[in-house]
This record gives sequence, C-alpha cells and structure tokens, in this order.
Amino acid sequence: MNGNGFEEVPHTADVALRVWGHDLAELFVNAARGMTWLLADPDTVAPTVEVPLELDADDAEVLLVTWLGELLYLNERDGLVFTAFTLKQVTPTHLVGQARGGVPKELRTHIKAVTFNEMDIRPAGRGLETMVVFDV
Amino acid sequence: MIEKKDFRRVERLIWELPQETRQDMRVPARLFADAELFDAAFGDRTVEQLVNTATLPGIVNYAMAMPDFHQGYGFPIGGVAAMDANSGVISPGGVGYDINCGVRLLGTHLDKPDVMPHLENLTAAIYQACPSGVGGKGRVRVSERELDELVVQGSRWALKRGLAHSEDLAHTEEGGCLPGANPGAVSSRAKERGRPQVGSLGAGNHFLEIDVVDEIYDAHAADVFGLRPNQVVVQVHCGSRGFGHQVCDDYVKSLQGAVRKYGITLPDRELVCAPLDSPEGKAYYGAMACAVNYAFVNRQVLAMGIRGAFEQVLAGKVRNFDLFQVYDVAHNIAKFEEHDVGGQRRRLCVHRKGATRSFGPGRPELPDDYRDIGQPVLVPGSMGTSSYVLVGTEKAMQLTWGSSCHGAGRVMSRSQARKSIWGADLRKELEGQGIVVQAGSDKGLAEEAPAVYKDVSRVVEVVHDAGLAHKVACLRPLAVIKG
Repeated sequence: MNGNGFEEVPHTADVALRVWGHDLAELFVNAARGMTWLLADPDTVAPTVEVPLELDADDAEVLLVTWLGELLYLNERDGLVFTAFTLKQVTPTHLVGQARGGVPKELRTHIKAVTFNEMDIRPAGRGLETMVVFDV
Repeated sequence: MIEKKDFRRVERLIWELPQETRQDMRVPARLFADAELFDAAFGDRTVEQLVNTATLPGIVNYAMAMPDFHQGYGFPIGGVAAMDANSGVISPGGVGYDINCGVRLLGTHLDKPDVMPHLENLTAAIYQACPSGVGGKGRVRVSERELDELVVQGSRWALKRGLAHSEDLAHTEEGGCLPGANPGAVSSRAKERGRPQVGSLGAGNHFLEIDVVDEIYDAHAADVFGLRPNQVVVQVHCGSRGFGHQVCDDYVKSLQGAVRKYGITLPDRELVCAPLDSPEGKAYYGAMACAVNYAFVNRQVLAMGIRGAFEQVLAGKVRNFDLFQVYDVAHNIAKFEEHDVGGQRRRLCVHRKGATRSFGPGRPELPDDYRDIGQPVLVPGSMGTSSYVLVGTEKAMQLTWGSSCHGAGRVMSRSQARKSIWGADLRKELEGQGIVVQAGSDKGLAEEAPAVYKDVSRVVEVVHDAGLAHKVACLRPLAVIKG
C-alpha cells in the first residue's frame, strides 16, 4: 500500500498505519483511505452515499482522531465505508468536506476506536506524516 | 532509553525500576515476571508505558504490570495503578476502550461424555443464540429510557427483565452493578451505538468457549466454586461493545482540555486524565460506570442465550442441562476500593487495564460462599489452548491491590499473524485436536491463533509462584465460537 499514502506497520496488540501526505488535507484523506482498506476491500464498494462533514477540534491530532472517528461511527451505524473524499478546508482545528462511500460486500476488520497512541503529525520529506493506531 | 540493568530484582518474580530512573516518575515501577517474560518486556513499549503510568498525579506505591503485560495505549496491557481518592486522577487510558471487558464462567452439571455426542449441535445453537461478528446486533432491543435504566442498574435490570437468575448477580464482581453510574455524562452517540448491541459478542479477541475441567490443583477451592474433574463449563469473553468504545473515545478527547486546565504534564496523550474530585473526573467516572454496567448486562444476556441453547439441544437427552454461574470478572476497569497503605486504611481508585481483581479471603466485597477462600480469578487462554481458574490471595492484597493477570498477552501483531498463519490451516489443526470451531471468518481465526500469544501456562505459573493468585483448575477447550 506504499503508493497510497499509507502502510500498515506491525503493532503487538492493535493495528497501526504510517500515513503521509503533502499537506494536512492529503494526510487526512490518506488516513481515511488507510482505515477504509483495513475495514473492507475498497473495490467492493459502490460510492452511493455522500456525507457532508464539518468538524472542530483543539489541534491537528485531535482533529484527525475526530475525523476518522466520525467515519468509523458511520461504519458501525450504517455499515458504510468511504472511498472518496473531498476536503474543501482543513486547518489544524477545523475541517469542512464530504466523504462518499457505500456498503461493502463484507467487512474484514472491526475497529473499536482510533487512538492517540504514537500519533504525532510532523514534517517529513516533502510533507507531513504520522502514525495512526487503531484499537481492534 | 531504559535498559534491563536499570531494574533491580526485589524478589525472584518482581523487577523494580527506581523512581529516580526518570525525572517525572512519582513512584517506582514494578514488573511481575520470570526471567524470560522480563526479557520480553523490552521487545515493545511495555516498559516505557509503565514508566509513563508512574508519572500520574496521586499514584500510590507503584505502577505495576502483571506477567501478561504487553504494549497498549496509555497504560500497558496488564497495568495496575491505584490513585489516592482525594489527590489522585482518573484516566480513561488506564481503563481502555473496551470498558469492563471481562470473563464469565458458567458451570454445568454434565460431564464430558454427556456432552460429546451433542457438541456440534450445541456449538451451532450457541452461535445462533449469541450474535457475533463485525457490527453484530444484540439479542435484546432497548429504548433510550430502558438503556438509561440498564446502565444505572446493571445486572439488576437484567434480573427484572427475566434475563438473569438472582444467583448470577451474587457471583458477579460488584454484584453486576458499579455504583455512581451517570447516564447524563454519556454522549447520545454512545447510547446510539449501545442500544442495538445488548447481548452481542462482537469480534476481535472475544469468544465463547465450551471447555472441560482438565485438572484440579486445589480440591477445596474447586469444590467451593462448583468445579470437578471432567465437568463441562462455558466461558464468555466480551465487553461493553460500541457503548464503551464511544465513552472512552469521547473522554480521551474531551479530557485533553482538563489536562491543560489542571496543569497536568503528561508524557503520552493516551494517559489523559482529570482529578477524581473535579467535574471532568466525576463525569468520566459516571460515564465509565455506565459502560461497566452495560458490559455486565451484555455478558448476562449472552449467558441466558447459552442457557437457552443448552435447553434446546439437550432437553430430554440429559438429566440436568442447567448452567450455574461460577463468577464474572472485569479486566478493564477503574473503581474505588479500600486498601492498606503503610498500615493505614485508604480509599483508592484502582485502575486495572488488562488485569483481574484477585481479592483474597475475608474481603466484604466477595459473596458469602466465596468469602472464606477468596474470589475466583478467571484467566482465559488463547483460542485452542488451556484456560485457568485461580483463587485470589492475601498476598495479592499486599502486593498488587488485589490484582492478577487477565490472559496470555499478545506477542505477535495481527498483520504478522495474517502473513504467517492461514486461518483455514488453523481451523484444520484445531479440528484435528478434536476442537469444534465456529468462526465468522478464517482471517479472524488467524489473528487470534495460539501462536500470537504468550504461553498462558507460563503466565499463570508466574502468577501462582508470585502469590498473586493460586491455581484451582485448568480448562481445556472442546468448542470455540468466535465472531
């Protein structure tokens, strides 16, 4: 999954992704795509549902956890996974955008929560990167 | 970087890291391990997370890790820490996302030969009766108002609904109801997630298992717990489902502000906390107690589903198909308890994250029939391996605030497990051992394969030898049901 802006890295108890992007918006999109990849096979999802999202948080890490948590909540409530994202505005404390997705053929992982564990959005290469550890 | 040489061995199975090791530690840290398990602590972030735990305000005596320790988030898994009720903090990172994940053990009046002819049918009936898997919906539907009652009353709510026997409550930690639950402190989203899931197993490492009592180590304690050789028993391992996950998620985020407000310096955001006597700390405790009670009800409703499955398959075929409850323990929880600290009785908020209460004889919290010997400590093994029943000890009261291990403890990541273990092969291997397997997916099987865990027998030996709990019985699996 190297070409997709995320890769799974071993974690003893849980599931971890290293995520990167040129800017905060791309980092957030890649983190969401990584979570989708953990949840289901994206190729089995027809993007039939569009969900608008506007989120606020104290800082970029809390915003990232909130963003992924919002998508995870919609997964648990409606069985949705999201494959396309349009972020119109992303600052470290505010996000406006939409996610498109649908119900996959089958779910492959149950994620309990998105954690702050090892999360640290920092400059790397020509952009930003962070770890995202999911409690499963 | 903390190294092995920084620890001193204060007893054969206790390794202590002095408070001076890191400037921000408020107390020393202790690992309970034999030499091999101690070495393993340096293979992941266990030690770092334990040291981080030792920095929390109000922590008393030690930050401790039970022998099944491994890296978690905030506290290590296997972490135990007690905070002074007046000056200490409460931390969602010391409880975990699956609040009151725990284990229930049900005993039968049947021996293995009574059950073997019906084992496959019984396993299939339990699988049908106990919804499992990713996003599984529960056996019981509740309204918003009923959910509020459920999370305040815990197992008493189930009893009123005809979903429990009164003896079940007596044999549940806290009687199946942690006081102080406040539904007003729980978000509408947590309630929305929790409402459809009452009486569901979920996925991941949660399971139902039909076992046989393979060996008895302490005949008297086994007799008191209702266990005997060759007896068939059933284990239930699950927690508070989406309700508890959301409560933790909400408070890990919202308490970030409390950390700033109260001037607390933390080495890890997952250790987010608030003073126990602050509005924020009280709100988290009230919400966490709701999730604790939700989990007690969840396991209770599943137990009734198992009873129904036994009746459906065995009625008319065996003399007595009823199941009685040996005990139900929580292994992700924070609660107020009284303990001796330097000869003085003090009220503490004991955090057990991947650790089981192991109260010894005489504690008033224990049911009448167990008070003379101590509480059952339930230690599930990994899938296909043995599980253990132990009994709490006085020594645990002195060493670990009456705490012990909760399981085997992982050693291999899920991604590594998927690469090195094929679920279909594992299924064949388990079936080759005569174990009936009912699982939602082979992938899920691979991720929970025995090879990804420490040897539970080794962990239990350390617990026994250190005196944190004493071995009573060993259980061997006959059938495994997983989401």
